[in-house]
Amino acid sequence: MDAQSVKIGSADIAVTARADFQKNHQKDLPGDFALWIFIFAEMLVFGVLFVAYAFTRANNVALFNESQLTLSRTSGAINTLVLITSSYFVVRGVDAIKRGLSSQCAHWLTGALLLGGVFISIKIVEFHAKFAAGITMSSNAFYMFYLSLTFFHLMHVLMGMVILASIIVKARRGGYSAQNHTGVETGASFWHMVDFLWIILFPLIYIIR
Amino acid sequence: MNKAKPQSNLFSTVIWLILIALTVATFSIGEVGLSGKSTMLTLLAIAMIKSQMVANYLMALRQTRLLWRGIMFGYFVIVGGLIAIAYLMGQA
Repeated sequence: MDAQSVKIGSADIAVTARADFQKNHQKDLPGDFALWIFIFAEMLVFGVLFVAYAFTRANNVALFNESQLTLSRTSGAINTLVLITSSYFVVRGVDAIKRGLSSQCAHWLTGALLLGGVFISIKIVEFHAKFAAGITMSSNAFYMFYLSLTFFHLMHVLMGMVILASIIVKARRGGYSAQNHTGVETGASFWHMVDFLWIILFPLIYIIR
Repeated sequence: MNKAKPQSNLFSTVIWLILIALTVATFSIGEVGLSGKSTMLTLLAIAMIKSQMVANYLMALRQTRLLWRGIMFGYFVIVGGLIAIAYLMGQA
């Protein structure tokens, strides 16, 4: 065996090993593994922001408690119910496509998409009220965290809605089946991440004092 | 694609209703205006349990390998734990 064939052989082994590694690490997670890397990265970013909020508050407890009282707990709670329900709709959509029911899948996902729209509408009303009261990110440390965290999360809701919309279009065209629905599971995983991040954000910013 | 057995719709519906009930409980505690160490820890625990439920049952990570469930569980424990420490520092 010459040196070149040994080199090619070891390259083949490396490619096979990488493929095996990817296969083993992909088979369990619902959806595309690449999106899961993104999900874990987003969780890390939000986690750092949540902890930064909590430690900043530790040095400004009175200011944070006083500012927190100006937030609408009702709209925060309604938005939590809206996102939880939309996540449930997404679960039903994934279940439908696993049974090969494309049209039913599209219906459930459309319901989730509409609830995403409700979430955004409520958030816009909430932001408008704050801006009308002269509150901005530079008002104080609490409002800086409140506006930046909720806006950052809102951008993820928007991104999730774009993903859901593209899945709905493809599902309506019969692009998914009981055997091939990785795209649906991928979009669903992202939407559930948006949901559980809000589930932490809501009590942290609106309730706990 | 996840090859795990799909869970029944009834099960998903029950999880959804539990999540709704826990959200109403969180909101009610906020409306009553309760505060203090035990209230903070209760609210934080409810939030972490709800998030874990979404990950396990709605995201369907319950049937995945231990590594993925461990990452998710570790995330909630570490983030929740650090938040609790920060709040306890603020109350000291």
